Amino acid sequence: MWIRKICPAVLALALAWLTACAPESGPLDDEPLDAMVLLGGDIDEGYARAVTPRPFVFPDDHGPHPEFRNEWWYITGNLDDEAGRRFGYQITFFRLSLVPTVPESASAWATNQVWMAHLAVTDVAGIGHRAFERFSRGAMGLAGAQVNPFRVWLDDWVLASDEGNDFPWRLTATSGDIELELRLIPQKPHVLQGDRGLSQKSAAPGNASHYYSFTRLQTEGSLRVQGREHAVSGLSWLDREWSTSALEEGQVGWDWFSLQLADGHDVMYYRFRREDGSEDPFSKGLWVTPEGDHSLITFEQARLEVLERWTGPTGHRYPVAWRLHLPAQGRVLEIRAVRPDQVMDLSVRYWEGAVDVLEAGEAAGRGYVEMTGY
Amino acid sequence: MTGLPARALVRDHRRHPWNLVFAVLGVALGVAIVVAVEIANSSASRAFELSMETITGRTTHQLIGGPGGLDEGLYTRLRREGFRDSAPVVEGHVRIQGETFTLLGLEPFAERPFRDHAVGGRDGRINRLITEPGTVMLAAPTAARLGLAEDETFFLTVGTTPHAVTLVGIVSTDEPGLGGYVLADIATAQDLFRRHGRLDRIDLILTDERQMARLREMLPPGVRLEAAEARTRATAELSRAFHVNLLAMSLLALLVGAFLIYNTLTFAVLRRRHLLGNLRMQGMTRASVFGLIIAEAALLGLVGSLLGLAAGVVIGQGLVQLVTRTVTDLYFVVTVTQLALGPAVILKGLLLGLGVTLIAALGPAWEAAGVSPREALRRSGLEHRVRRVLPWLVPAGGLLMLAGFMLVDWPGQGLLPGFFALFLLILGYACLIPPLVWLMARLLSGPLGLGFGVPGRLAARGIGAGISRSGLAATALAIAVSATVGVGIMVDSFRSSVGLWLGQTLQSDLYVSAPGRSGLGVNPVLPDDLPARVASLPSVAELSTARRVPLYTPRGPLELMAIDPSVQTPDGYVYLEGASPARIWQRLAAEEVILISEPLAWRKGIGVGDSLALPTDRGERTFEVVGVVQDYSAAQGMVTLHRTLYDRYWDDPGVAALRLSLAPGVSLESGLSQLRALAVTLDEPVLITAAGEIHAQSMAIFDRTFAVTHVLRLLTVGVAFIGILSALMALQLERAREHAVLRATGMTPWQLGGMVTLQSLLLGLAAGLAAIPLGILMSDVLIQVINQRSFGWSMIRTLPPAVPGEGLLLALTASLLAGAYPGYRMARVRPAEHLREA
Repeated sequence: MWIRKICPAVLALALAWLTACAPESGPLDDEPLDAMVLLGGDIDEGYARAVTPRPFVFPDDHGPHPEFRNEWWYITGNLDDEAGRRFGYQITFFRLSLVPTVPESASAWATNQVWMAHLAVTDVAGIGHRAFERFSRGAMGLAGAQVNPFRVWLDDWVLASDEGNDFPWRLTATSGDIELELRLIPQKPHVLQGDRGLSQKSAAPGNASHYYSFTRLQTEGSLRVQGREHAVSGLSWLDREWSTSALEEGQVGWDWFSLQLADGHDVMYYRFRREDGSEDPFSKGLWVTPEGDHSLITFEQARLEVLERWTGPTGHRYPVAWRLHLPAQGRVLEIRAVRPDQVMDLSVRYWEGAVDVLEAGEAAGRGYVEMTGY
Repeated sequence: MTGLPARALVRDHRRHPWNLVFAVLGVALGVAIVVAVEIANSSASRAFELSMETITGRTTHQLIGGPGGLDEGLYTRLRREGFRDSAPVVEGHVRIQGETFTLLGLEPFAERPFRDHAVGGRDGRINRLITEPGTVMLAAPTAARLGLAEDETFFLTVGTTPHAVTLVGIVSTDEPGLGGYVLADIATAQDLFRRHGRLDRIDLILTDERQMARLREMLPPGVRLEAAEARTRATAELSRAFHVNLLAMSLLALLVGAFLIYNTLTFAVLRRRHLLGNLRMQGMTRASVFGLIIAEAALLGLVGSLLGLAAGVVIGQGLVQLVTRTVTDLYFVVTVTQLALGPAVILKGLLLGLGVTLIAALGPAWEAAGVSPREALRRSGLEHRVRRVLPWLVPAGGLLMLAGFMLVDWPGQGLLPGFFALFLLILGYACLIPPLVWLMARLLSGPLGLGFGVPGRLAARGIGAGISRSGLAATALAIAVSATVGVGIMVDSFRSSVGLWLGQTLQSDLYVSAPGRSGLGVNPVLPDDLPARVASLPSVAELSTARRVPLYTPRGPLELMAIDPSVQTPDGYVYLEGASPARIWQRLAAEEVILISEPLAWRKGIGVGDSLALPTDRGERTFEVVGVVQDYSAAQGMVTLHRTLYDRYWDDPGVAALRLSLAPGVSLESGLSQLRALAVTLDEPVLITAAGEIHAQSMAIFDRTFAVTHVLRLLTVGVAFIGILSALMALQLERAREHAVLRATGMTPWQLGGMVTLQSLLLGLAAGLAAIPLGILMSDVLIQVINQRSFGWSMIRTLPPAVPGEGLLLALTASLLAGAYPGYRMARVRPAEHLREA
């Protein structure tokens, strides 16, 4: 979901950054709004909007929805190798339409689609956190998404069905000293977020996304770090979301949690932080039972407190330990980053990392947390 | 003690300011020309380097395809195989407001590892570049120069077709190399150049051998991996010979300048014998006198060089335009946005000016040091010595020329030995001129005496008597005039050879071509069905097709011409080597053989029976050479082959030009109108040209190419003119006392003026006459050695009567003008003044 806000901004900034002299353009917290303006005009004109819940059809909806402005395929996961070495990973494919229509040209390069992808691995006890970023135009087969056979890719980062367009999916990505090859099989059916998959982001109609998740994907494969191969297994989480949304004024950032509990429950919760320090009432979450039944967690039904903060090398301060109170479920979850230094210092800086979940001081699960606006 | 002699020299100069002015002017002009050429040359080279640097960026390697470029799918394969440091490029030439630019079609998302500024605009304007067809970006200085503002729509011409494009981004950059480029999205570039599906190259950053080996395995046969630097160097190498030629011409100007300095200083020493003798009497040593003259020369050289530097910068600014034009016409497009005015150029100019001045001053300084106090009042010491030396000049000159001739015939391809030989010949010949002038003066004194009486005889005798100066003046003038004669003959020979060759080549009546052929990128083709449609026109009797494309070989670029011949085609060539035209074309049609152009044969040192390896779309292949033909159209060399052979080895199905002959009885006008009627039904524009028009255009380009040569020629004459003016004025002014005696003994002012003028004319005549054989000799060396070695072009030497005539006229005019002022002064002066002065 976070991409709803960040994706256009990231892309605009990334485009600017592509051309900047310095490869590392530094933190750009306060710039997304300016960047949005540069994207120009009324961004909604000509794009489809998420106004009412849609009938989701699979496998078609695994594929792209280019009539919407933004879309992403977003996977996070916690893995262990045979010796118990702990890893976290994240890969995200973002699609953005720069303009609603494809430019008129006989060239196969002509397109209105731009793709960005982020890859990160946290080798908890080893080399720590590594993050990579890529861009491409959505043309010439360089980057794109398709249903038959299912495949989402940017260069040689590929998420694809083993066969046809059904699970299992295979994720292949190599960058720097990281090589990832994972097989993903869902252990629960997909869940529709918000109201039947329509995730309202503000009061304005159409300011919403179509949003579904696979909260528990059995994951196996290999992870090569600095030339050393690890046979890994664990759990991953897939988020799929597409929308044409405008920015919400007054929001400065968000904290987003995806937690897979040892007892088989999964939790998603996000909160928007507002300029005045309050929490936005559009913050919400989802509670998924081991059987795959799910229910909404409203803003009023959750309370999040920060336990610890960490100051990064750039001087920015991030929370790294929280307590999430879910009174309706009768649970109090303590969430702790496996390492504090999981900052994605890319075109846009954000914190995204593997976390442990504890209950009453005992290990109770794992998950991923994303934070922006710090 | 040093103060006094220096002051004495200064006072002397104040009394004879003209000598000083001319000496300084001589140095200044010589230095100015060298500096101007150096600036023009290095500006053009530097501009090319900078633009290559800007555009190559951090590219280490490039993937290059055949004439059809690369299949764009190859890029996708590379990316999917993990070759992430790769960027596709579609490029070509476009014109904006008549100026030629290179349009680069880029993929902005792939650019970052390669070029920082190549795609600018931090403000996300790239979105528009990608999503709006027909949008471009320019470097800020270029946009300012063209008067274009952001969001402005303007016309950009590809071939002959103007396209409206919008400037969506101005790249603020201090990189001058970006000035000659227009940046666009790759899709826009493909649209503009109609090059859909193809790339011109893929830029790569490859750092290790393993990567390269893996890449090579992936490549289809026609695609080659080349080091970017080597490719740039091979291109830059093309124009090297041209720059060397210009430099040599400028050095010739400096040589003439050196004569001038020698002349001026020698005269100054002679004039001041009295003063020098007095200084020696006061106890100044020979060494001090030597030092004094050298110091004086150094000062003069310094002032002259500084002035020359300033003038050189001014001349260089004009010259660089001419040089850029020639380089663009002959080799590659280059846009000079700033003059290369480094400290190296300035230092070189200063050192050359000072060096040449000091060398030229050695003789006079030696002469001055040799003045004994006793000799101070005698004036004829030098003349005696020179006359003693005179006979020795003949064998010395002969020997120098002999060495020059031997060096000319020395086998090899080096350009520098060629120029060295040329300079030896010139120097050797220069040695012969003073004895020749002396001899002429002796021989003419009788006839002139009969014709003009005493003044006539005196004029001739005077030349002989002052041979140390008159001989030098004549030599300087002769060399300058011979340079204009030699270069004039060379250019004229070149021009007529090109004209003859064009006449032979342009056998057909009409030509139909796809507009926008250029040495960069994939060239346009005619619509597929056009050849058949043209052939079916009733007015067309014969039709041949041609496809001419640049071919990047590992050893530098070539031109490849694929011909589907008609009956007439074999007659359209001038064969320098090979069997009969019919037989050659038989073999071209049936076997895997090629024709090569003369420059290519020269550069590779190959001929008929040898073989040439060419990169093809099936990998490298070797072809036997069955003929060498004349060709002035491709300085880098051209390979001609049969279309069937081309189709066998290159995947480039299009035809770019049709050459057609009209049926008997069909007039050119009706043929043209039929073709034009056909052309209007086509979607794409085609160019229809009559043979005569191509001939005229080609000759216009030829003349434009040689404009810089003409300018240098004129500048050299300018130096010589100043030289002869200064020498003759010095000569005549020095004779003031002698002339005063003549006046006192009854010669009328008119007679005296006439005598002085006659003497000048005689000198001019001698120089002019001497210049003609030297000029012809020079043209021979230029044609047979310098041009051959520079470009591989042979030509038939012509002897246009106008050129030697012009040379002679030039010499006479210069001498007449130079003699006029002294003559006027001599006539006006009151004898008593000069008698007293002495």
